[in-house]
Order: sequence, then structure tokens, then C-alpha cells
Amino acid sequence: MAEMDAVHDAHDEHPTTTIREYLIIGLVLSVITAVELVMSLYEDELGVVLIPGLLIFSAIKFVIVVGMFMHLRFDSIRFTQIFAFGFILATALLIAVVVLFAYDATDAIGGGFIGDPIEHH
Amino acid sequence: MWIFLASECLFFGSLLSTYLVFKGESLSGPGTDIFAFEITSISTFVLLMSSLSMVLAVYGAQHGQLGLMKLMLLCTILLGLVFLGFQVYEFKTFASEGLTLSTNQFGASFYVLTGFHGCHVGVGVLYLSSLLISSVRRNGIGKETPLYIDIGGLYWHFVDIVWIVLFTVVYLIPAY
Repeated sequence: MAEMDAVHDAHDEHPTTTIREYLIIGLVLSVITAVELVMSLYEDELGVVLIPGLLIFSAIKFVIVVGMFMHLRFDSIRFTQIFAFGFILATALLIAVVVLFAYDATDAIGGGFIGDPIEHH
Repeated sequence: MWIFLASECLFFGSLLSTYLVFKGESLSGPGTDIFAFEITSISTFVLLMSSLSMVLAVYGAQHGQLGLMKLMLLCTILLGLVFLGFQVYEFKTFASEGLTLSTNQFGASFYVLTGFHGCHVGVGVLYLSSLLISSVRRNGIGKETPLYIDIGGLYWHFVDIVWIVLFTVVYLIPAY
């Protein structure tokens, strides 16, 4: 219980976000989601801008929720480090797996021999 | 709690990477063209609003406004249930259009990824319900124990940020 009180005290040190500010944040998140939806509807017109744009908007929403709603912005830096460690590891895992499957090394080494042996006989 | 959330990042990271590997690779059955953006956008909005109501519940707990806390907890639970309803509707629609867990690898990875997220929302709804029930009891959650609500809030917001990523990567970004 004493441990919980100590943690709670640490949470109370940050400046309080008001209800009005929370409502504004909620509105901003809704607007960003609406913009994302509109962008996805104009897929052909946006071309190469689409995917980076969607990822940037998604990252903005992510940071707002983690920073303000999950109050990481006001908490100890240690909490941020713990969460960032897991998130960066997960992102690295995702990129590694996708790259691993997208690039077939046998194409470069054996001219696709292992991947499609029939064509080479 | 933050260590748990960091481990959850890895869990969803592995599921998402599996989905990305199989996205657009299936030779039979429906693909990403089956998605209905409109319905998913509404459910995304519902989950975002549930995050807003959850943060207001935490605010109420931290400032001794127990009425606000209970009302916002109830709103969060209801919005969570609405989100789950949308997901069930979506799954049933996709199944009727021929995409099931066993149709192809895309279907398997899609249902496992979004299904596990739905399970997390379900667990969150149960947890928040237990907090709400506890708060109406005489010796339950009150002004002295806002940390329980805070921890519930962290979990709920995490479920929300996972959906923020899934909504963009799974639904909005087209198949390549």
C-alpha cells in the first residue's frame, strides 16, 4: 500500500490537465482520424505521399495518446524508457520480419534456383 | 504496468509483422478489397472517444469527483462494448463474403491480429466493469485509491494506441 501511495505521489507531481484540454485533445484526435479517412479515399491522387502521410498522422495520434492520456509526458523518464524499449524492439522485429520475407536472398545467390527449380531445368 | 505494456508491444508487433507478410499474398479467397472503411472508421472514432471518457474517469478519481469517475467509467464500458459489437458485425460480414480464419493466410493473420485486439478490449471492459462495481460499494474504490483507475486507464489507452496503429496499417494503407 505504501508503495502504491509513493507511485501515486509521483503521479500527482505533474501539472494537472484540465477537462477542457482533454476535450480539445479528443477533438484533435477525431479530426486527424477524419483526415486519414479522406486521404485513404483519394489513394490514386495522392500516390507516393499516401503511405508516409498516413504513417505520420498515425504517429501523431500515438504520441498524443501516450503523452497526454497516458501522462508519460508528466511521469518519470524511466517509464518512458521502459515503454520506448518495448516499442522500439517491436518495431525492429516488424521491420526485420517484413524485410526478411520481402527479399529472397536465393534470388541473388542462385538465380531463383531454390525458389523455382522447374524453370532452371 | 509499463513493463507489461512494453511486452504487449512485442506481442502485437509479432502479430502485425505476420499480417504484413501475408497481406496481398494469398492466391485464393478475398483480399484487402473486402474492407469497409466507413464502418471501421466509426468504430475507430468510438474507441478514441472511449479513451477520452477513460481519461476523464481518471481525472475524476484523482480530483475526488467520484460521480464524474463513475459516469465516465460507465461511458467507457459502453463505448468498449459498441466497439466490440462493430467488430463482431465486421467479422460476420467478412465470413459471409467468404473470408474466414481458414480461407487463406491473409484471413488467418487478419482474424488473429484483430481478434486478439478484440480480446484485449473485452478484458478491458471486464476490468473496468469490476472497477465500476467496486466503486459503488461502500468500502470499494474511492478518493483514497485512484491508482486502480489510473492503471485501468493505462491499459485502456494502450488498447487504443494499438488500434491507432492497426487501423492505419491494416485498413488504410492499401495492399502492395
